Amino acid sequence: MSHAVARAPARESEFGRVQRLRGRLGNQWGKPRFLVLITWGYIAWAILPVLVAIQFSFNDGRSLSVWHGFTLKWYTSTDPSIDSVFHSATLHGALVQSLKLATLDVLIAVPIGVFLALGLARWRGRGSGASNFLMLFPLVTPEIVAGVSLLILFSQLLKFVPFGTVAQLLGHITFSISYVVVIVRGRLFQIGPSYEEAAADLGAAPASALYQVLLPLLMPAIVASAAIVFAISIDDFVISQWLSSGANSTTVPVQIYAATRATPLPSTDGIATVIMVITLLSVVAGVLVYRFFTRGESRRGSAVDDVAGFGI
Amino acid sequence: MYPRWLWPFSALPGVIWLLILFLLPLYAVLALAFGTVDPILLTGVPAWNPLDWNPGWMSHVLDQLRPGNILWDVWVRTCRYVLISLAGCILIGYPVAYYVARHATRTKTLLLILLVLPFWISYLMRMLAWINLLSPGGYGLRFLDATGISSLLYHVGIISDPNNYLSGQSFTVILALIYGYIPFFILPLYASLDRIDQSQLEAARDLGASPFRTFWHVTLPLSKTGLLGGAVLITLPMFGDYYTTNIVSGAPSTSMIGNQIDLYFHGGPQPTIGAAITVLLALFLMVLMIYYMRTVHRASREIPA
Amino acid sequence: MHPKERRLATTRRDFLLRSGGAALSLSSMSGLLAACGTTTSTTTNSAGGWPTGAGGIPLARPNHPVTLDRWEAPIASGMQPETGGTFTIFNYPEYIDPAVLKAFGKKYGVTVKVTPFDDITTGVTKLASGTVSPDVTEMTPDLLPRAVAGKLVKPLNLDYIPNLKNVWSGFKSPYYDAESRYSVPYTVYSTGIAYRTDRVKEDIPSLKQPWDIFWQAQAYKGKTALLSEVRETIAMALLRKEIKDINTEDPKLVNQAVKNLQELYNICSIKVGDVQYQTVPEDKAWLNQAWSGDMLAAYFYYLPNKETGKLLRFWNPGYGVGPIGNDAWCVCKTTKKPVLAHLFLNYMLDNGVAYGNFVNFNGYQPPLNEIQPETLVSKKVIPENLANSVLTERDFGPKALVEGPLTTAGQSLWQDGYATFQSGA
Repeated sequence: MSHAVARAPARESEFGRVQRLRGRLGNQWGKPRFLVLITWGYIAWAILPVLVAIQFSFNDGRSLSVWHGFTLKWYTSTDPSIDSVFHSATLHGALVQSLKLATLDVLIAVPIGVFLALGLARWRGRGSGASNFLMLFPLVTPEIVAGVSLLILFSQLLKFVPFGTVAQLLGHITFSISYVVVIVRGRLFQIGPSYEEAAADLGAAPASALYQVLLPLLMPAIVASAAIVFAISIDDFVISQWLSSGANSTTVPVQIYAATRATPLPSTDGIATVIMVITLLSVVAGVLVYRFFTRGESRRGSAVDDVAGFGI
Repeated sequence: MYPRWLWPFSALPGVIWLLILFLLPLYAVLALAFGTVDPILLTGVPAWNPLDWNPGWMSHVLDQLRPGNILWDVWVRTCRYVLISLAGCILIGYPVAYYVARHATRTKTLLLILLVLPFWISYLMRMLAWINLLSPGGYGLRFLDATGISSLLYHVGIISDPNNYLSGQSFTVILALIYGYIPFFILPLYASLDRIDQSQLEAARDLGASPFRTFWHVTLPLSKTGLLGGAVLITLPMFGDYYTTNIVSGAPSTSMIGNQIDLYFHGGPQPTIGAAITVLLALFLMVLMIYYMRTVHRASREIPA
Repeated sequence: MHPKERRLATTRRDFLLRSGGAALSLSSMSGLLAACGTTTSTTTNSAGGWPTGAGGIPLARPNHPVTLDRWEAPIASGMQPETGGTFTIFNYPEYIDPAVLKAFGKKYGVTVKVTPFDDITTGVTKLASGTVSPDVTEMTPDLLPRAVAGKLVKPLNLDYIPNLKNVWSGFKSPYYDAESRYSVPYTVYSTGIAYRTDRVKEDIPSLKQPWDIFWQAQAYKGKTALLSEVRETIAMALLRKEIKDINTEDPKLVNQAVKNLQELYNICSIKVGDVQYQTVPEDKAWLNQAWSGDMLAAYFYYLPNKETGKLLRFWNPGYGVGPIGNDAWCVCKTTKKPVLAHLFLNYMLDNGVAYGNFVNFNGYQPPLNEIQPETLVSKKVIPENLANSVLTERDFGPKALVEGPLTTAGQSLWQDGYATFQSGA
């Protein structure tokens, strides 16, 4: 590699100014200034609007676009004419419902997904291909197809399932399992069978090989998938809307949507900010737990690589 | 070392769950699309037995999908939005993914965290952010006016009203779609670009290829899987999107096929039409999905893992 | 016969043949007739019978009242109300004062909850599918026959509802529910145009055809909206062309009305929604199709500041010129507190309660004898500029234009038309 770098300056002096400039700009081996610009430009474009939304949740005024000063009233006011995030029954209820669904979703979808991942990764028999396809399909199903199908299912076939929290939860879990599988499976491939084979050589029974060798090695992926499922569930809109039973099963995204179609107020920005902070905190917690479980491993891949590389 | 039945057994709960709560509902949609409507309550009555299927609703919908009829117009508009958004995501996302994967050394972790950040921010909140920016008096609107971009877009005909981005503007809808879906495009692409071995690129350079040719003949093909994966991951859900346009536009002139499904399902005498449109949409997407799976399967056999 | 109508008529006929519903055959006949595309409206057909809708119930019109059969016996008189637990009301969101509900809950020792629906048709669908099981539900006259035919609402025992004497005489036995067997009225309203005088330069009431303002609204691009209602949008386009039968099932008329609506995309980037009570006072919309109570609700509850109140206007078309309608309350079949449900209906007809709901929150007036527009204005409860948002008994005579029940084929026709409008094509 140092050879290539050492050669480059010698080449440059053979060319004229324009050619050198073009070379520098388009030089895949040199400093890609143009790419740096695009990348940081994109990052700014992706993040700044959200910061503006957070800013306006503190706006002393009803507008979402004209700044009138700083206030906490949209979060904490007990004045009945102001629907504040922490005191309004609707907004507060939406927060609780979102968190409830997300937590239950993680608790149920992650175990199912881990077992499914193990099974799919190592199953070589008939049906494994079809099961794999079945698992991948929810990842790319448009949410409206999901919403429509579950609505029909619960109103025509499985009528004993009440709409509201139960139906929403079942829907969330169904579309979270695949994410768990893809992440855990990636980690499984990374680990490989060698550790368990070593354990077997050392005399471990299959059960303890699984429990004492494989499971701890899988922990980082399990934690990563838990964080992802949590975020997905909190963010879910279509399924929560289609399977809701009314005011007491509204989630935060549904609330935000209803408000944006009418007149969004700074309290709408407020509830979005609160849910975002909760999600970020849970992700940070997840990262810390992940780091704990991967202590001692070579930092070849970061947590993000695990997440980013999911199955595609 | 492990008993052979262990792995299918491990997969069983998940498979059963997906069969009952994912596959069966899809059949329910099919059954409703070929079903009937209760004349008193105007609720849909699915026909579970394929022998009882009533093709009237489906043929009605197919008729509406002929060029010149309304579903065709909505479908064409949806495809237009999706393809333009995909192009936008590629144009913006590929350079970003490429830079982070291959060039950012010191700042790589920071950049990755920033790239992953939108995942943790609710999609609705990111759309809401644009309402903040593009409402009258908002920072975004003022920026666009001050830099003259607004009037440029207006004169080129991309916007029909430079003061009003939030009603009936295709531009805003496409912008929102790109903004909403691009993080899901960048990360798989990044992962695929990250995996490309530097030595292959160096080999190309050693053989005398210019940077552009190296990119075109080596990097791009090697990232094909990631590119395709990212494209599939965003276009398939985008086809069914209906809430983005409702939030940033709210006008019929920007409605997508998802809005038509939504309309027929929320009250009224014809939920079967909504089901039929859903079935056709799902079939179309399944074809795309199968194409993707076969390409990836072929590609994964060409490149050693 | 238009091919589309033929397909739909066939599917319904197949179902009817299989279920052998003789009572439903009348509705299928009217459906076929509608499908044959007669140019006259099907409110009278050549066979001499009145067209029927769901369950063979004749379509009710102000000049053709309908008595609904009781599908079960009403509850017995003289029982005590049930207390404790939750009492659920199924309604549009923000359509009843929370204070009123709280007082009711306190009086009878129950927790009152509101389950909202997006619109009344979605609401009835949810009731039918068992998705929700409320105690009382809001209802509109055009859907009441379906609710009754589908046994979703219970027949009333009027002994529990003495306050019915407070309502306008025309509502004691309305055209859609003679003898008030299933419903009591809640609010009355008309459909007109809401606008802001600081933004809209035209004097809408003095225009030759005020509905035409939308077709001339180029200056208000992006700030106009129509109601997101199948019936209201198409009816408006019909009335603009002086077609007074807003229950027509003539495909030619409906499709032409839809074509006219589609012109609005390019003229003023028309939007659709039901939130004008918020968007107009907040200056997000300037010109909206609206119901008469919307600007009053805006004035009572959604004003960003006092000055905005003076800028709001509502054009009320008037008797026989524009659509009028009413909402009603029914007791749901799923209620576990039938006596309390009856008492709730009675409670909502109490003069004090209804007046408080109206001026403190709702903006939609109840059809009670004690509430007169003149007194409201003189007592400065409602501002002068919105005095015409209040209706009187005269507005509801036999020549009134109402969006009445349709046959299933008619409903499909209108829904398809609305879908065409919503497609933006």
